[in-house]
Amino acid sequence: MTTTTAAPAATGRRAPRRQTLARRQAVWGWVFALPATLHIALWTGFPILVAMLLSLTHYDMLNPPSWAGISNYTAIANDPLFWRAMWHNLIIAAVGIPVSMLLALVLAVLLNQGVRGTGAFRTAVFLPHVTATVAIAMIWLWIYSPGQNGLLNYVGGFLGIPNQPFLNSPSQALPAVILVTIWQGLGLKTMIYLASLQTIDQQLYEAAEIDGASAVQRFRHITVPILAPTTFFILVTSIIGNFQTFDLIYVLTSGGPANSTTVVTYEIYETAFQQFRMGLASAQSVVLLVVLVVLTVLARRLTGGRDD
Amino acid sequence: MTDVLEQAEERAAVAVDEVARTPRRTASQRRRTRRLLLFVLLTVVAVVMAAPFLWMLLTAVRTPQELFAVDMPLLPREWHWENFSTALATAPFLTYARNSFVIALTHTLSNLVLASMAGYALAKIRFRGSTVVFAFVLASMMIPFYAIVIPEFLMVRHVPLAGGNNLFGQDGIGWIDSWPALLVPGLVSPFYIFLFRQFYLGTPTELMEASRLDGAGEIRIYSRIISPLIKPGMLTVALLAFESGWNNFLWPLLVTSRSEMRVIQLGLSVFRQEAGTDFNLLMAGTAMAAVPMIVLFAIFQRQFVNGMVATGIK
Repeated sequence: MTTTTAAPAATGRRAPRRQTLARRQAVWGWVFALPATLHIALWTGFPILVAMLLSLTHYDMLNPPSWAGISNYTAIANDPLFWRAMWHNLIIAAVGIPVSMLLALVLAVLLNQGVRGTGAFRTAVFLPHVTATVAIAMIWLWIYSPGQNGLLNYVGGFLGIPNQPFLNSPSQALPAVILVTIWQGLGLKTMIYLASLQTIDQQLYEAAEIDGASAVQRFRHITVPILAPTTFFILVTSIIGNFQTFDLIYVLTSGGPANSTTVVTYEIYETAFQQFRMGLASAQSVVLLVVLVVLTVLARRLTGGRDD
Repeated sequence: MTDVLEQAEERAAVAVDEVARTPRRTASQRRRTRRLLLFVLLTVVAVVMAAPFLWMLLTAVRTPQELFAVDMPLLPREWHWENFSTALATAPFLTYARNSFVIALTHTLSNLVLASMAGYALAKIRFRGSTVVFAFVLASMMIPFYAIVIPEFLMVRHVPLAGGNNLFGQDGIGWIDSWPALLVPGLVSPFYIFLFRQFYLGTPTELMEASRLDGAGEIRIYSRIISPLIKPGMLTVALLAFESGWNNFLWPLLVTSRSEMRVIQLGLSVFRQEAGTDFNLLMAGTAMAAVPMIVLFAIFQRQFVNGMVATGIK
């Protein structure tokens, strides 16, 4: 500011100078933003338009696409396998998410007591989250091995339980998948809860204790209500994440046995890249997109436009 | 008035009595037992969470005979570390790892530069169209990869004049089975632009103005003055980008078929067919695919957890 005193003539030119400064800045704004914006326009914006267009065609990658109208969508509406996959997504979400959230909440409260070695516990709980899902699936493939030396049957042997088929059984495969999702998702949920717990004012607990509230009452009437927005955040991100499960199913079960574990993303993959019905698969992906966008918008509405 | 005082006095006396009656030792003992119980409980949970990884390592060093023995001991009778070199000889894991590393590093660097530039512009520079760009970034974040994977695949396959394609992108395979296919689509992620914008919002604008008056250029202000202020944020994005690069599976599965182009996670899933039921080799390979991320996590535990907690994503 003080530098202007050096040149008295500058005062007269101040207004236009400001304008050019603003304009120069605007140019720089675009210079900085353009490469990334163009990339997203080309690799996300354009593809989503193509996907919608492609969903109205029949396309097998050998012959040029032919107009199909809405026939792909009517085909999906009448495709029991697609709805079965959607149903599996819903079951995995409806069973796995509440269980892992409850476990995560309890674990976070325990970790928040400041016991010695909390860092090591945190590592153990969070490790499945940073490990590649393919590697995770490979490990569980062996844990669920139907032979006597898969970990579960091995432990079961000591308890006198006969060998179970697990992933080879149409009735046990989906529960087995759900167990892996619980184990894998526990770490992140626990850490999110723990982060929120640490923001709670300890005086609230002290005041309640003085008033004679028991530990359970304090948990029920202080912790749970304060954590409600966090719970909602975890719930929504988990549901959205659940609809994008693919690697786990691909490696663990390939959707089987007898389609008992197939999910929407796996159906899209099968339709597009095994059967090469690109139009139909695009329509399936548009249906998935609509489901996820509705969920996301609903979540934004309910959280009052919270920006995360 | 006196009544109230008397009552209060009485209550206080009762309280003092109660405290006196409860022996001090039992109270601290009870607290100690509670701590111990908590410790044991958490240890059990930690062991259950870590058990699959331990089982992986224990399996990786067993002999095939032991794996199918009826009386398999919990700990291997002999530790066959050479299973790792056998796995390496069976499948080119080092090539797979190198490919994954190249992708993860490229995506980390490209996002640190391109996404941070865009996030900086959206947070700190007022320019016409910035709200539109930001809305576009937010909308892109909502789009799941599975909704655009088919068009992206077709785009990569029909790149004009690449991989035997003609000017109209026909007749060849385009970028399939080549580095551009693995690298280009993931160069920028809208999510990291959003994260960077949030980080830059917390930096002082006065510093930019002062630097401008000092004659600093815009690139210098961005790279040397403001960006160093968000180093922790940079590290968060770097870790998230590296992790998703290393753990990526579906896209490489679609765009590569040659063994030399495979990434580690894909190589691992292919190795499963080659190793068959040799779970010792399979677990050795799995350990090699998992360990680099585990080491990185061990070093940057806090930043990893903070970054992922703030975003709620995998």
